[in-house]
Amino acid sequence: MSPSIDSSFRPPTEAWHPVSPKLTTARRLVLSITLLPLTVIGAVVLVVAGLPIWALVAVVAALVIFVWAWWLIGRRVRSFGYVERQDDLLVTSGILFRRLVIVPYGRMQLVDLVAGPIDRSFGLASVQLHTAAATTDAKIPGLPPDVAAGLRDRLAAQGEHRSAGL
Amino acid sequence: MTLSPGAAPSAGGATQPQHVHPLTPWVHAMQAAPVLLIAVVVPLGNAGEFGAWIILVALVAVLLLVALIAGLAYLSWTRLTYWFDGQGDFRIDSGIVTRRERRLQLSRLQGVDVVQPLFARLVGMAALTIEVAGAGDSRASLQYLKYEQAQALRSEVLARAAGLTHDAGEAPEEPLVLVPPRDLAVSLLLRGTTVFLFLLTIALVILLSVTAGWAGLFMILTAGVPIIIVFTEFTQFFNFTVAKSPDGLRTKAGLFQVTAQTIPPGRVQAVEFVQSWLWRRRGWVRVRINVAGLSTTDDNGQNQSQMSTVLLPVAPYPVARQIVNYVLPDMDLLDIEMKAAPPRAHRRAWIQFRNLSVGWNDRVFVTERGKYVNRIAVVPHARTQSVRVTQGPWERSLGLASMHVDSPPGPVTVVALYREVAEAQRLAQEQNDRAQAALRADPSTHWMTQTGAGDSDEQSVADFAPPTGLPSEGPPPPVEQEGRPAAPSSNDGTPAGQSPPAPDDLRDS
Repeated sequence: MSPSIDSSFRPPTEAWHPVSPKLTTARRLVLSITLLPLTVIGAVVLVVAGLPIWALVAVVAALVIFVWAWWLIGRRVRSFGYVERQDDLLVTSGILFRRLVIVPYGRMQLVDLVAGPIDRSFGLASVQLHTAAATTDAKIPGLPPDVAAGLRDRLAAQGEHRSAGL
Repeated sequence: MTLSPGAAPSAGGATQPQHVHPLTPWVHAMQAAPVLLIAVVVPLGNAGEFGAWIILVALVAVLLLVALIAGLAYLSWTRLTYWFDGQGDFRIDSGIVTRRERRLQLSRLQGVDVVQPLFARLVGMAALTIEVAGAGDSRASLQYLKYEQAQALRSEVLARAAGLTHDAGEAPEEPLVLVPPRDLAVSLLLRGTTVFLFLLTIALVILLSVTAGWAGLFMILTAGVPIIIVFTEFTQFFNFTVAKSPDGLRTKAGLFQVTAQTIPPGRVQAVEFVQSWLWRRRGWVRVRINVAGLSTTDDNGQNQSQMSTVLLPVAPYPVARQIVNYVLPDMDLLDIEMKAAPPRAHRRAWIQFRNLSVGWNDRVFVTERGKYVNRIAVVPHARTQSVRVTQGPWERSLGLASMHVDSPPGPVTVVALYREVAEAQRLAQEQNDRAQAALRADPSTHWMTQTGAGDSDEQSVADFAPPTGLPSEGPPPPVEQEGRPAAPSSNDGTPAGQSPPAPDDLRDS
């Protein structure tokens, strides 16, 4: 049953835009600079506390998690996709937890363009749509700044054009 | 009725800045006095040989504190003014040190409450709370006005928000239903959490009495938790009445603090019928609503925000449906065909899988879930913010997915749990199409000036119970519901298409 499920959150009838592969590098960097120092600190503490075997176990576990997360990041970034249709925006993502969000342009209340320091150093930005519902989860990370700005402007124009209040 | 001098005399245009009632500082001070007295005197109750003196000093201190509060309240009273500006918005200027000018855009009005805390009620005062759509601090409270003045100002605000430029006066009010205090008390006692906590208390008392002797009886104190919960809700929803008027549906309730709330038509984003397990044989439901701006995380007092999201604390299902018909007109819940979740959903949801269903008509989308707490959520297509399909690892292994309809923050969650993946995708696409179509046909926010002058016309009043109260016996318990927990017989092999068990909650009686 896997092929049909895989395409079900990404209907092939739409022309999906991917996000930049540089997002993979950026997220793997974040993973490395958080998990590896933590592992080293944890191992040192355990060794000092006289538990070298537990330190070994912790390091092995951390490495397994590291490799798994490293691999998952690649798949997860490739799973992101968005389509600007005539009346709405489609956003899909996720490997373990999949989602497909459909946001009508007329429901958008504001569009955020965000770029953190790591994103900026890789030349990335993310666009997030907000509706009156807090549960609308339509964030598109890992866009080149000019693409993100263009998308933001088009979405804002569409939203203004069709705004329907609540 | 004529507006009292405090409210705007020339409706429609701008008005002069007004002060709230001059007795306001005194009301604030008197409200604080009992708390201060208890806080200061109780710890000194066993103060030894200086007892009398210390208590006297404490009383003087309390008096000084009360005077200080009154003085500060007087200062803020002199600085607090309100008026309607030339653009038809409501303005409030306030603040002693930090000046604050607020402008409430009445075209985004979500609700108006008249709140009477106990002491204010004794002296005939009330606070007016105005809620507009928007994140965060979108609520303003005017404390205090004379009760009649607060009511006049409420109708003024509602009339202006509805786009009426002339003085409409107080809109006539027609009572629809009164929840009898006895039914309210019984319903609160029969709630799952109450019963569970009581049973837990009994079990703990027995267990510890056996193991620890008489000391185990101290565990009876845990019974205080459910008692406090029941008592709080009982005082909050005491004498709950729902009335209809051209400017919206009005609710009013409270034993000590009376809160009257007006919900303009078209502001309700989603509705939920909640039925506790033990309410089923009486056919009772509670009705909760999502209204933009009345977020449950509101920091402005738990009472008010909970009040705002409960449309009916308890009522027989047909009565509840009638009331909901006033906030979501013409939705014909009974005619909606509910489609059950596929049989293999029971591998994901062992308990509630028979209660998972979804349905729609040309106006609303309906989902049902939960066995012990059954929830039927209704969202109009025109209020659909966005739609989502989600799938976790467990659902994925079973080829299931869930479809969500996003609604503004509130107690109601609209989700069709555990459908076939292809069906969930189809549900989302179709709901999106329906929402887009409804969006294009969406009426404006000025509801009173539309044809039909509000949604509450005569047609459904005739068959509705007069304000004498709920029919106390309620509808006879439907057989399927009683049989459902015990008899899993016929439904197991039913194909997913036609709904076996779920919709009888919508269809019964």
